[in-house]
Amino acid sequence: MPDIFISEEKKEPEKKLKDDTPVEKEVKEILGKTLIKKEVKSLIASYLRNPKGVNFEIKEKEEKIELLLRMHPITNLKWILISIIMIFAPVVLTSFPILDFLPGNYQFIAILGWYLIVTSFVLENFLTWYFNVYIITDERIIDVDFYNLIYKDISTAEIERIQDVSYRMGGVVRTLFNYGDVFIQTAAEKPNFEFLAVPKPDKVVKLLQDLMIQEKQEAIEGRVR
Amino acid sequence: MGSVIFPSFPVWGIAKVFVLFGMTMYVVFGFVIVRQVKLMTDTLQLGFEGMIRILSYIHLLFTIAVFIFALLIL
Repeated sequence: MPDIFISEEKKEPEKKLKDDTPVEKEVKEILGKTLIKKEVKSLIASYLRNPKGVNFEIKEKEEKIELLLRMHPITNLKWILISIIMIFAPVVLTSFPILDFLPGNYQFIAILGWYLIVTSFVLENFLTWYFNVYIITDERIIDVDFYNLIYKDISTAEIERIQDVSYRMGGVVRTLFNYGDVFIQTAAEKPNFEFLAVPKPDKVVKLLQDLMIQEKQEAIEGRVR
Repeated sequence: MGSVIFPSFPVWGIAKVFVLFGMTMYVVFGFVIVRQVKLMTDTLQLGFEGMIRILSYIHLLFTIAVFIFALLIL
């Protein structure tokens, strides 16, 4: 039977139910932090297996992205160190009177101009690293290259046209951080694909071999996918 | 303001023209980056397009701000 009159006192427990208990709040906080951590991780990740929310210009409707690769984050160390030095250079150079021959306003603009160069340097290096990716789908391999922010080069090769896959790993840093180069020989228009400085090259090669076997099986069975 | 050797020669006036020319080139470069980021994000959608576009716009605003600042104080 519906209530004719609901007193204020009766309404309160409902409100209380909506409020989170301290434990729930803590759980939500942890979950939120984990999600943020995951987002940051996927932003700088260079080995993404079955990535979600990833799409590219020439992707076919039913094509499934198996792996997204980019150069190992450690390869960015060089430009990051240079950027840090560039950021602190004006502070260090205040003890050397290099710009003293300029009037004060010119000195100020020179420093602003310097930081403009630093910003561009950081942005260009980050964008080049972030958008130069290698994609392996269930049907083909795709190499997306952007040169100097001006040129774009996208090469693709069908998995069934891959003839040989190999990888090279050497040196202290590469062994320590587990990254190397993957070489793919194809019978496509572009005969050689090089996935440079990608993480876990052994797993990449294994995946490509599995996909090649799968494609061969599909060809025997007469399936398209 | 002239130089010590040639008092009537407007050294800083010419310097200002050069600085502003350089800054103009930089503003153009800022626009090129914005355009390029758009092209990159259209080619590849990796999940952080919005943030990267914002970064390119911040860079462009910074170049324009420095240009205006140079125009005003030099």
